Amino acid sequence: MLQSLKLLAPALIPSWRFFDTITASPRIEVLRLSAAEEPVGAWREFRPRPHSLPCREILRRLVWNPRWNETLFLTSCAERLLERETAHSVAEIATRIAASLTPHDAPFFRFRLVLISRDGDALQKEVAYVSPRRDVISQ
Amino acid sequence: MTFETAQRLTEILLALAFIQQSLEHLCGPKLERRLFAIRIVLCLPLLFGVFGAWALAGLAALAVAILHRFQGPYNGGSDRMGLLILLCLLVSHLAPAPVWREVALGYLALQLTLSYFIAGGVKIVNPDWRHGRALGDVFRFSAYPVSENLRALADRPRLLFAASWAVMLFELVFPAALLHPAALVAGLTVAGLFHLANAILFGLNRFFWIWLAAYPSILWFQQRRMAG
Repeated sequence: MLQSLKLLAPALIPSWRFFDTITASPRIEVLRLSAAEEPVGAWREFRPRPHSLPCREILRRLVWNPRWNETLFLTSCAERLLERETAHSVAEIATRIAASLTPHDAPFFRFRLVLISRDGDALQKEVAYVSPRRDVISQ
Repeated sequence: MTFETAQRLTEILLALAFIQQSLEHLCGPKLERRLFAIRIVLCLPLLFGVFGAWALAGLAALAVAILHRFQGPYNGGSDRMGLLILLCLLVSHLAPAPVWREVALGYLALQLTLSYFIAGGVKIVNPDWRHGRALGDVFRFSAYPVSENLRALADRPRLLFAASWAVMLFELVFPAALLHPAALVAGLTVAGLFHLANAILFGLNRFFWIWLAAYPSILWFQQRRMAG
């Protein structure tokens, strides 16, 4: 009951502080691992955005945008995880990564969170979290 | 606009926004699909205006289950606005006296106004926003731009400066739109275009639809206020 009220309260008395400060932004990267736990390829960004979107796709996304909204949810999970690691945030990210992988040549994976921020005019990246090895099938 | 019309329009727009969101979740994991399939079913009576209060009560209970499932909102501010509209509508049906029903819809109108005013206020006190740097950072490295080519906008400081001030001034001035019906229509049109731009640039399609659902409440609230 108390937990429900805690979850409901921000909707009843919202803060509306959209984009008040632009802080370091997390990206999820994935490293696939072989059965011998050797890296298969390099760390890769999970769901990198396309270079550009055609107008028809932009219009379609106004009414049908599940993948992007899920990606934004995973970004929230990454932020929550960096604030305080919970099994829920880790599982949400790992489950969705595993669903995008095929276990044949790489039955395991790790994911990491890379924080991107601006330092003067340059961007800097910092690895803020690396997950333990995860099994593609059991996720 | 009468109270009943505003209430009914809000119900229809909320039901449509919830159905749009829920259909997107039908691509998700099994438990998610179940929760959002139930939400679609509950939205149908709300959409067609039959057993509206029961549908709202069911949707509110389901919203709690969804909050537990994701340990918070799935889509941040848009989920919070959806829940706020839902709870205000529920109280507007269940409150024992007409005055409390009006207070419920009035609270939604107040929160809609604050959603712009506070967002403008927290930006304008930040020097990064006043210099256009914050918006530059949104495009340069945040998770929001929907495609890589949009990141090039980070290198257009004059455009970012102008856009930052346009957003901040619009958000801060929005409450003044309540002073005249024509000003409110103009304000809501600009606000709708602002949400449309956010949907196009940052993929925030759910914000667009759910904020529209709160607009009837403020149109009613202004008329109610002017009528005394």
